[in-house]
Amino acid sequence: MKRALLASAFTLMSALSVSAGETVDIVPPAEGSVTTEAALEAWSRIYEVASHPRCSNCHVGEDNVPMWSGPSYGKTRPHGMNINGGESRIGAEAVLCSTCHTTKSEDWENANTTPHAAPRVAMDWQLAPVEAEWFGKSSVEVCNQLRDPDRNGDRTFMDIAEHLDHDLILHWAWKPGGGREAAPYSLQEHVNDILTWGVGGMPCEND
Amino acid sequence: MGRARTIGRRSFLIGSAAIAGGVAFGVYTARTPFANPNLKELQQGTASFNPWVIVDSDKVTLIATHADKGQGIFSAQAALIAEELDIDLDQVEVSFGMPDKAYFNGAAIDAMAGFPLYDNSPTAERVRGFLGGVVKLALPMMATGGSSAIPDTYEKLRHAGACARETLKLAASQQSGVPVGQLKTERGSVILPDGTALSYTSLAGIAATIEPVEKVALRDPKDWKLAGKPMNRVDMVQKCTGTLDYGIDFETEDMVYAAIKVNPRQGGAMNSYDASAAKEMKGVKDVLEITGGVAVIADNTWRAIQASNAIEFDWGEAPYPAEQADHWKVLEETFTEESLNAEARVEGDVDAAEGEEVTGEYRSPYIAHAPLEPLNATILVTDERVDIWTGHQIQMFVESIVAGITGVDQENVHLHNKFMGGSFGHRLEFDFIKQAAEIANQMRGTPVKMTYSREEDFAHDFPRHITMGRGVAKHKDGKVTSLDVQIAGQSVMRSQMGRMGMSLPGPDAQLHEGAWDAPNFNLPNLRVRSYLTEALAPVSSWRAVGAGPNVFIYETLLDEAIHAAGADPLEERIRLMGHDVSVKVLEKVGEISNWNGANLGENRGRGVAYGFSFGVPVATVVEVTNTDRGIKLDGVWVAADVGKVIDPGNLENLGQGGTVWGLGHAINCEITYSDGMAEQSNYHAHEGMRIWQCPPITFAALENSPKVRGFGEPPVPPSAPALGNAIFAATGQRIREMPFNKHIDFV
Amino acid sequence: MKLSVNGKDREVDVEPDMPLLWVLRDELGLTGTKYGCGVAQCGACTVHMDGLAVRSCQLAVGDVTGDITTIEGLGTPDSLHAVQDAWVEHQVAQCGYCQSGQIMSAAQLLDFNDSPTDADIDAAMGGNLCRCGTYPRIRAAIKSAAQKIQEA
Repeated sequence: MKRALLASAFTLMSALSVSAGETVDIVPPAEGSVTTEAALEAWSRIYEVASHPRCSNCHVGEDNVPMWSGPSYGKTRPHGMNINGGESRIGAEAVLCSTCHTTKSEDWENANTTPHAAPRVAMDWQLAPVEAEWFGKSSVEVCNQLRDPDRNGDRTFMDIAEHLDHDLILHWAWKPGGGREAAPYSLQEHVNDILTWGVGGMPCEND
Repeated sequence: MGRARTIGRRSFLIGSAAIAGGVAFGVYTARTPFANPNLKELQQGTASFNPWVIVDSDKVTLIATHADKGQGIFSAQAALIAEELDIDLDQVEVSFGMPDKAYFNGAAIDAMAGFPLYDNSPTAERVRGFLGGVVKLALPMMATGGSSAIPDTYEKLRHAGACARETLKLAASQQSGVPVGQLKTERGSVILPDGTALSYTSLAGIAATIEPVEKVALRDPKDWKLAGKPMNRVDMVQKCTGTLDYGIDFETEDMVYAAIKVNPRQGGAMNSYDASAAKEMKGVKDVLEITGGVAVIADNTWRAIQASNAIEFDWGEAPYPAEQADHWKVLEETFTEESLNAEARVEGDVDAAEGEEVTGEYRSPYIAHAPLEPLNATILVTDERVDIWTGHQIQMFVESIVAGITGVDQENVHLHNKFMGGSFGHRLEFDFIKQAAEIANQMRGTPVKMTYSREEDFAHDFPRHITMGRGVAKHKDGKVTSLDVQIAGQSVMRSQMGRMGMSLPGPDAQLHEGAWDAPNFNLPNLRVRSYLTEALAPVSSWRAVGAGPNVFIYETLLDEAIHAAGADPLEERIRLMGHDVSVKVLEKVGEISNWNGANLGENRGRGVAYGFSFGVPVATVVEVTNTDRGIKLDGVWVAADVGKVIDPGNLENLGQGGTVWGLGHAINCEITYSDGMAEQSNYHAHEGMRIWQCPPITFAALENSPKVRGFGEPPVPPSAPALGNAIFAATGQRIREMPFNKHIDFV
Repeated sequence: MKLSVNGKDREVDVEPDMPLLWVLRDELGLTGTKYGCGVAQCGACTVHMDGLAVRSCQLAVGDVTGDITTIEGLGTPDSLHAVQDAWVEHQVAQCGYCQSGQIMSAAQLLDFNDSPTDADIDAAMGGNLCRCGTYPRIRAAIKSAAQKIQEA
């Protein structure tokens, strides 16, 4: 039974039409032009983004429970309503994320003007993969995860930058609407930092 | 008269073509100074004297005028009539009818006579009877509130049914020639000795010509066929199929939709506004000024709300402290002689009493009613008459207020009361009625449906009053010897009645309700004093009113003293209780919960609390576990004595629901003011209990009280202290402030 | 704009970002679906889109991609859905305002899980707020409905 729901949920996801979000330029610095120090500086900004509630609230661990935290959310707590993303990470086991976080394909960048409403983007809402657990994790932990192909979806730094370009949930972090605090910097600056960090050899503070 | 007349009349006739040969029955015509309202609308030459039963050639209609906010009184009223009328609920139509003095609430005054409701002494009864008589003549008020609808209707409506039945038997006797003594009644028919069934509807014409029977002995409850057993509520199928029309669902031809924005600083002025952007938005027809704000008129509710959000305002200051901390400061400074509301109870001498002292200071916050159906009203104003479709608990006052605003004679103002998606006291208020009337009065001839957005509903919820308590308890030799309770708060009644244009002289009993009348007659020393301030935000009756905060204060202090004395929380409460009916309630909750002490081992505990409100003693036991994610509620047991159970199924539902209400709000709800505005704008910040937090709740009803009582509110007060007491038993942490989640996490 | 609601094709002339809730209530007169919070906090507006529960206050009508079923389409007073039947059997409703949404959420739960445990119910129904506190009966009714469906 649950499998049937999962299947139909995934069908929904694949049926998405990904409409254009913000345009991002992916222009890495010249090979060899980034010092380790500069790369680590870029990393610290990346971590500011990764650990920001707009990102980390849905980068949660294997309990599959998204978080509500950050300014405008009050005391940090698990997502209300007993929400659990399940192993499917889309809530297929109980309540689909998309039950409330509906898909807003048209004019989605203005989809989130109502304070405290469920954020919407032009794709189905979901938790990040469990390997990418960021909530409450240190800079070193997140850094090592992000550069580990086994735990980052087998991505190079260029792939990560592309992923940031394509995945509209990530765009939402900088345009959360509804009085929510946006992730720091801009999407373009964040992509630039990823490229800088990558060209600089993806160093982590524990290297 | 045109359409308005037609609508009013049609609504009254509940969809039937006509009441040909209609007849109505009642018993109170002989005892009240009020004409039968049904006479006004029945066809000429039709005999009628009937506030509650109408029989025509088509059907039997029962008039159930008490407002239904979910408590099930619509169905219960019909059942009380049907019980004596010998008709099943699936054979009748039930209607709210139209407001009239004939439907005045004769029970609401009981609580205001100055005697605790367990006091049935001749003196108390004489004062109640006298007050009842005065109120009936001076201020006959229809009202549903204070858990009074069952006491009000319990005898009255059975009489109405019985008199109707006996008159129909006279009619059958006339028609058949069979003496009345040989006639029986069942399932909506008079049965002749040969088995022939003459339906009530077939007898309507003859019955209309007969002087109605006015004196009938009521049946012994042990002979009841319908009441006293679980019933199917008449509104249930509709509520489960989306086919029940609440006020917010009302539709009529050519209706327009309105949303409002009023100064979120309650009672503050609107200095200026700029609606130029809103006026350009799709579907927007107009922007009108109303008291303290504006209304957007549009062709759809959503468009009206969207446009209202596009208006820029300059709001005036709040007429109360802007910041929440200052509200508490006001209360802290209210425990003075000058602010004394009443020394409501003095037994023995608390100052001279011996024993070790336990002291505590307790806080109960502002809380919103936030019924799930946002406030709304549809009004059509014409020069001749006004029709209002909404749910309200004080029906005739709605008509009076709208008459005042529109200048239309009150007798031509007609409230068509609707089912409510909850109220919890919010629909005792009149702001939304006034606003809708101000809008419709500017748009005469056009029906206007005004709907609050949820955010507007939160911003303008006159919340439960904040209360602070200070207590000194004493214990000696393992026994509680003294309680000295001081309560400082606002007068809900003055705040509420002030908005109705009435003043309330003298002390407000709600300020100590639930504490002064605690029947701890075996406690030798007890003093309850209440202190009053009026310098805070406007507040209103919130389910259980004063007893909510006061029972929390009283029962938490008592529990602290019991634990300090080393006594068992249930046994010591039973020992202190000098009221037999309440003792049995406490014993019952002990029995159903298998009470075996408060301590259940590490991180697990139980708490018990008792509350007396609206004449009903209720005892609640809560069991919790302190998990690594916070407090988890494992089980709740509730026992109550309502005197006589009309519908055990519905009573259990109310007992469980009222407990969920009390627990949920105690856990996580408060309204706080910042910059004069409520900080909580929607349910994310004022959540209450959800299903996964709701433990199994076992309920038991007793029938030892000498009087029948309503149960909409009484389950609420003891639930919060029972939870707090359980948390103490499990963790050693004593929480003296609601909401509890400010001090401890919950699963 | 065309919509399929309760098996019927409906045409509405509205802007695409209007929430489905208000299209159902104010444009199509289907008032069984309730407005409670407008921000997906209460669940009173729950409907099905291609059989999956969705909060209609959050779903812009322009983003409706499937057939909509509302409480009126799930069953009728003369022909109750198993969940509605169980709700009546257990006399669940008090004010009843949230129950359209509760029933739609429960119906979806039972579509995918014909013998839900208390934990399954708590997980699936957590987004549906009942101010009257009918949760004990909602739980019992869902279990009854599951049994009815299994026996059917």
